[in-house]
Amino acid sequence: MGLLTILKKMKHKEREMRLLMLGLDNAGKTTILKKFNGEDVSTISPTLGFNIKTLEHRGFKLNIWDVGGQKSLRSYWRNYFESTDGLVWVVDSADRLRMEDCRQELSALLLEERLAGATLLVFANKQDLPGALSKEAIQEVLALDEIKSHHWCIIGCSAVTGENLLAGVDWLLDDIAARIFTAD
Amino acid sequence: CKIRCNMDVTAVDLRGYGHAEESSAVKIPERLLKRDQARTEDVERRREAKESQSVPEDKRGFFSDTFSRERAAIEELLAGCPAADRAAAAQTLEEATTKTQRLQKFLNDSMVFLTQYELRQAQASLQKLQTSLTDKREEALPKKKFAFKSRSKVKEEAAAPVSDTPSPGDTPADSGTTKVDGSVNSEQCGFSNMDSMVLTLPAEEILKRDVLLTHLTNCKVRLFGSPSTLHIKHISGCEVLCGPVSSSVFVDDCRNSTLAFPCQQLRTHNTTDTQVYLHVTSRAIIEDCHGVSFAPFSWSYPTLDEDFSLSGLDRDRNNWTQVDDFNWLAAGTPSPNWTVIPDADRKTSWDP
Repeated sequence: MGLLTILKKMKHKEREMRLLMLGLDNAGKTTILKKFNGEDVSTISPTLGFNIKTLEHRGFKLNIWDVGGQKSLRSYWRNYFESTDGLVWVVDSADRLRMEDCRQELSALLLEERLAGATLLVFANKQDLPGALSKEAIQEVLALDEIKSHHWCIIGCSAVTGENLLAGVDWLLDDIAARIFTAD
Repeated sequence: CKIRCNMDVTAVDLRGYGHAEESSAVKIPERLLKRDQARTEDVERRREAKESQSVPEDKRGFFSDTFSRERAAIEELLAGCPAADRAAAAQTLEEATTKTQRLQKFLNDSMVFLTQYELRQAQASLQKLQTSLTDKREEALPKKKFAFKSRSKVKEEAAAPVSDTPSPGDTPADSGTTKVDGSVNSEQCGFSNMDSMVLTLPAEEILKRDVLLTHLTNCKVRLFGSPSTLHIKHISGCEVLCGPVSSSVFVDDCRNSTLAFPCQQLRTHNTTDTQVYLHVTSRAIIEDCHGVSFAPFSWSYPTLDEDFSLSGLDRDRNNWTQVDDFNWLAAGTPSPNWTVIPDADRKTSWDP
């Protein structure tokens, strides 16, 4: 029995996952987190620092880290990379002006060695806004099809209405579970 | 962590044995001693290697060598990109892209010890690489350009013959998108590239929509209604007044202007010498700003009350004095980048 197997077994027992939620400021990361946790989303302030939520879902214990996306905070993102099982990249689908910024930040992130094993879920958020780009358009602008290094999936959602949040998280859990909790 | 702790313990044990041997001559297997010696030597060697690297001169030399070697490798890759074979070209280009991104990361990581000049040089050559990479890609794998396309026409044609049954062209049920059919651009309204104009939008045009104001100079903007979001970018010398914004307002690169709006969140970036008459139900933040001053929202127009209730904003909760400055994380001392407008200097009457 190798070390990896032991580690897998240890994790399996706890069935614990660490999810890191990143994206540009105003993308809706905190709103997604709170909505998913069933909290009030009308009083959310721009995140100065980070929020952590631990919640149970489908028998998994999820540690979700929501780190502020302001430019001055992005250099601190790296401090949260360690042992991340899943990366949730949140996009403000209506923010056409910063799609290029968004693409660059994401592609830089995917080069990070410490995120190499993580599954990537892209939330095309704010689909409730009439000016939102479709998830197909965002897939194209962010050049997701060129990602070969990570398992990825893009899902259109609305943090305000809660639409598709569950679908996204479920996909992420399935993908991670298939990877780290495989039968020995 | 457990593993690391265990290793520490082993190290301590060995040292303990070593000591014991000196004092009371307990026999230690030669094999163990050898291993310990090898380990110590290894640690020493690594430390030396590390120290030699930390001399800035050497680091810079290492950087410029590696950088130019990598750059040459990418250029070679691009030059040898087979134009005729699509698959091979795609593979080469992909490799070149990855290498370029790595190089960018290498540069980013090396930023701390490079001089301004070296940094600029490296950035410039990376830029050139990017350009030639894009050109090569265009040449070898022409791809349709990304565009906000209108899909409404296709939809109408598909839907016309079958009036009651769902049309086959419709988005599959499992797709997570809200359909963005119709001409997408028309969903966003606003003004851009204007100079010295009075610009207004009525309530019905902005209700629950995203309003975008960009590249305006010396304009007066009046938005009589409740939009869903408001984006203000690259404006100077403007006066922007807007009805209750149901979610967030995003301000970027704004100079010598006056803004007034109620909203749920306000994010202000790269803004200087601007007054904000604000009603904010959660919080306002500033980042890379200077000379921004705040006062409570005081503009009014005939349908303001209705728009407040349409927006869902709480009229009794205004946190306009609670501004977070992301460039000023010191608790206790107030940020020098923003101020409250003194009562006497606040605007009380607004032009129509």
